[in-house]
Amino acid sequence: MTEPVAGLALGVVIVGLALSTFVTRTSFLLAGAKLRLGHRAEVALRYAPVCTLAAIIVPDILMHPPAHVLDLSLLNPRLIGALAAGAWLCWSRNIVGCLGLGMAAYSLARLYL
Amino acid sequence: MISGVAMVKGGLAVPWAIMMSLLVYAGSAQLAALPLIVAGAPLWVIVATGLITNLRFVIYSAALRPYFVDLPWQKRAALGFFMTDFTFTRFMRSAQEDSLPVRTDAWFAGVCSSNWITWQLSAITGIIGASYVPTEWGLEFTGTLALVALVGPSLTARPAIVGAAAAAVVALVAYPLPFKLGLFCGAIAGIVAATLTDAVEQRSPPAPAEET
Repeated sequence: MTEPVAGLALGVVIVGLALSTFVTRTSFLLAGAKLRLGHRAEVALRYAPVCTLAAIIVPDILMHPPAHVLDLSLLNPRLIGALAAGAWLCWSRNIVGCLGLGMAAYSLARLYL
Repeated sequence: MISGVAMVKGGLAVPWAIMMSLLVYAGSAQLAALPLIVAGAPLWVIVATGLITNLRFVIYSAALRPYFVDLPWQKRAALGFFMTDFTFTRFMRSAQEDSLPVRTDAWFAGVCSSNWITWQLSAITGIIGASYVPTEWGLEFTGTLALVALVGPSLTARPAIVGAAAAAVVALVAYPLPFKLGLFCGAIAGIVAATLTDAVEQRSPPAPAEET
C-alpha cells in the first residue's frame, strides 16, 4: 500500500474539498434564474451521497486491513460492530447510542474472538 | 466530534485535522475522504469523492434559492457555504410551518453561525481529545460507524436501498482496481441503479403523488 497523503498534497486535498463544499452549497444560490433542476437530475443528486457512502463503508467493513480480502465471517470484528450499530439504528435514531454500541461490539470482538 | 476523532485516529496530524474541519466543514465528505487520504489515493480521487458526497447540497441550494434571490451575491454565497444538513432541515421546517421571520436572511445567518460554532468546538474537542487516546483502541472505526449512522436512516425509499446495494456490490467486485477506482465504479453504478428504480416507480401504478 502507498503512503498516506501528507504535507503539501494534503493541503491541496483540503483546499479541493473546501471548494467542493463551497461550489455545491452555493451552486443554485449564485446561479442565474435560467438554471433549473430537472426531475431526473434531482433524483441522481439526491441518491448520489447514499451510493457513494455505501461504496465506501461496505468494502471498509468486509475487506478490512491488513489482508483486504472479502471476510464475510461472523468473526469479523468490523462486521459485528457494524451489525450492532445497524440494529441500534432500527430501534432508535440516537447516534451516540449507535456509535457506543457499535464500538463496544467491535472492541469486544477484537479482544475475545 | 466524530469527524474530529476519526481524522486524528485515521492518522492526520492535529493541525491538519483542525484546518480540514475549519475549511471543509462537511462531516460526511471529510469522513468519506479520510480512508482515501490514509490509503494514499490520488488527489483527484479524494476530491471527487468528497464532491459526490456533497452533491446533495446542490438540491438544498436550489430549494433555498427562492427565499434569498433578492440578496446581494456575497450574502447568498455566505449563507450557502454555512448551510448544512441540519440548518437546511431546520429552515425548511420553519418555511413549511409558515413561521419564518421577516428578516429571513438574518435569522438563517443566526441559525447557521450558532451551528458552525457548536460543530467546530465539538470537532476540535474530538481532534485534541483523540490525540491522547492510544491507537490500539481502534477509535478510527468510529468514522465508519458514523457513516453507517448517516446512511442507515436514508435507506427508507426504494431507490436509495437499490442504489446502495448496487454500489456496495460493485465496489466489492471492483475493489482490486488501482487508485481506489472501485469506489467510483460503485458510486456510479449505485446512482444509475437508484435513478432507474425511481423511473420504474414513477411509471408503475399507483403513481406516487409528485411533491414540488
